[in-house]
Amino acid sequence: MKRVRKLAAWILTLAVMIPFVFTSVGCSQGADADTDSNQVVIWHDKEDAVAEALLAELNRLVPDVEFVLEKKTSLTDSLKLSGNDPSASPDLFIFAHDKIGVFAEMDILAPVTEFVSEETLSSYLDMTVDAVTYKGEIYELPIYFETLLFMYNRRYMQDEEVPSTTEELYSYMQANTGRGRYGFVEQHSTAYYSAAWIHGFGGSLISEAGEPLLDSDAVKNALSYHLKFVELMPGETEYSTVNTLFIEGQADSTIGGPWMVPSAREAGIDLGIAPMPVVDETGLSLSPYSGVQGVYVLKHAAESKKETIQQVMTALCDPSVGIALAQASGCAPANTACYDDPDIAEDEMVTAMRDTAQIATPMPNIPEMDVMWTVTGNLLSDVNLSGEDVETAADEAQKQALDLIAAMQ
Amino acid sequence: MKRQKRQVKPKKKRLPSSPKQRKITFWSYLCSAPSLILIGLVVVFPILYTGYISLTNMNVYHWFDFDIIGLDNYKRALFLVDSGFLSALLTTILWTIVNMAIQLVAAFVLASLLNIQSLKLRKVYKTLLMFPWAMPGYVSILLWKTGIFNSQFGLLNQWMERLGLQTVRWLSNDVSAFICCTVVNLWLALPFMIMIMDGALQSIDKSYYESAILDGAGWFRRTVSITLPTIRPIIGPAVIITVFTTFKQFDVVYLLTQQAGAKTGSHFHTLITYTYENAFITNNYGYSSAISILIFVLLLLFSWKFRLEEKS
Repeated sequence: MKRVRKLAAWILTLAVMIPFVFTSVGCSQGADADTDSNQVVIWHDKEDAVAEALLAELNRLVPDVEFVLEKKTSLTDSLKLSGNDPSASPDLFIFAHDKIGVFAEMDILAPVTEFVSEETLSSYLDMTVDAVTYKGEIYELPIYFETLLFMYNRRYMQDEEVPSTTEELYSYMQANTGRGRYGFVEQHSTAYYSAAWIHGFGGSLISEAGEPLLDSDAVKNALSYHLKFVELMPGETEYSTVNTLFIEGQADSTIGGPWMVPSAREAGIDLGIAPMPVVDETGLSLSPYSGVQGVYVLKHAAESKKETIQQVMTALCDPSVGIALAQASGCAPANTACYDDPDIAEDEMVTAMRDTAQIATPMPNIPEMDVMWTVTGNLLSDVNLSGEDVETAADEAQKQALDLIAAMQ
Repeated sequence: MKRQKRQVKPKKKRLPSSPKQRKITFWSYLCSAPSLILIGLVVVFPILYTGYISLTNMNVYHWFDFDIIGLDNYKRALFLVDSGFLSALLTTILWTIVNMAIQLVAAFVLASLLNIQSLKLRKVYKTLLMFPWAMPGYVSILLWKTGIFNSQFGLLNQWMERLGLQTVRWLSNDVSAFICCTVVNLWLALPFMIMIMDGALQSIDKSYYESAILDGAGWFRRTVSITLPTIRPIIGPAVIITVFTTFKQFDVVYLLTQQAGAKTGSHFHTLITYTYENAFITNNYGYSSAISILIFVLLLLFSWKFRLEEKS
């Protein structure tokens, strides 16, 4: 019996130990994995049209390199787990610029200036280069950018009715909201959208140094002022409700991203795009966040495939890439040379986006921003949907943000 | 009060096992080894690894170069036990009790109806009742959110409008959000419980009922004295599993009320959604792992208590 018990103990120990053995073997294999220096793996989370356009351009510009584009739905989470493992992570990936701080602090990124000269980057829009710079280093090659736009349905809102100020917008909403119809809808309790109003009051969610600013007067004033608009909008704040109301013709105007445009056009909407209204009180335009989509280089690839990555990054600076991706995505290219192309220069959406870029605020790329999305979302929902006092809710949100940022360390 | 004398059980003498018994035991363990290793791989290893990470400073700033920092994360995690945490814990206990009570009663009633001898189209009903289980939870929850509870397009508000009533934002306050989440959770969880109850009911020897009927026992007496005691040991493990699944519920509550970019205004939190918002979003894996281990210990304590009650 003793022997059998001993055997049982061994089997149970093995059951616990084998996973550790597997893991360590996996890790060591990863480190020794033979890398094919002529193959470049790129992760992305973009729609198929964008991926196909990028692949076609890369194959044309760098025919000697084999490209593997892999779509990842939880790209950032996957990179957090495997960003330093050459056998499990890509060489390059395409993502918005707001995660730069997180990945740079994790030390998995190589600065793109190792492959692209600063002189080349000087032909890019300043806003896009600023957005991809973290602690003085440029970690992403900007390709195109997106921002929110004021869109309206010409069937219900005539060009001359388009509000140029927020008070005009409010008057329009009062006159055109009711009986299942809305004068204006937006994702009013979402941080990404509400930031436009906060910036319009000269405020910000977080400082460049990573200090939350939710209890600032500008934020409180913006939230208090925005409340009267929220009262004339539906209670739901998610994308599907807002998008459906506009697409179905139940809302005359909205603030939305370029991703709304294909479905609006498909629905036969005569879509108008106008500049953002100006806040009467401050004289500042509503200033939405902008997101710069571009290519990141992982550190291991920069070391093991230097020449190939150099070729690829040089090719990605070719204006044809920006043009092809802008045409596929409906977004505006980051490289100013792309605007010499007549198709791009005459595209209404792209022009509107480029104009909005003058007033848009790049999303902060510091790691602290990760917690600010949630805390600000909670603050907005407390104020707009639960009817809590702005002053109290903002102070509580500030405290929560400070606690969470402290907990990051 | 007199103290009752404790009865001391006589110690059982271990009989020397025969070579044949030893061989059987050996083969049992050998045959179980692949499963045990698999369980080790998918269950034990993640727990041990989480325990290890909870002792380190693994966060954005020390992602791959983390060090062991002892119990610091646990000290910080205990600070999370504030009024919000306790409120979430109490809400979670209430959530678990309400869901389990309704689930057990509803599953028992439906399984009993399915076992009526003269019931026609039994298989059709069973398939329909299993349907929620076949759908991915994520899809079901979002369909409920948009299709039923949405204040603009949802079915409930369309009915309210037809009846000339004021439309309601169903997910915006704590009580109605709790009720809506309970309904969706029941919809998702009932198929499993019905299946277990149905199997348990079918396993009861019909002769018990025949004897009880001959003795003049009515439906209630038969249910209390035959059905419930007989199915109890069969459904016991399923109930315990469901209690823990309900206790650590995340997706129903998060997707219906707390999803980023689609918050509804409700402050209804279970323990897991609360800790997600107050720890997991920090990208501090050491700290988050310490909280996970504390919740794990809490669940172990519940499990231990349940086991004792089950034994009694």
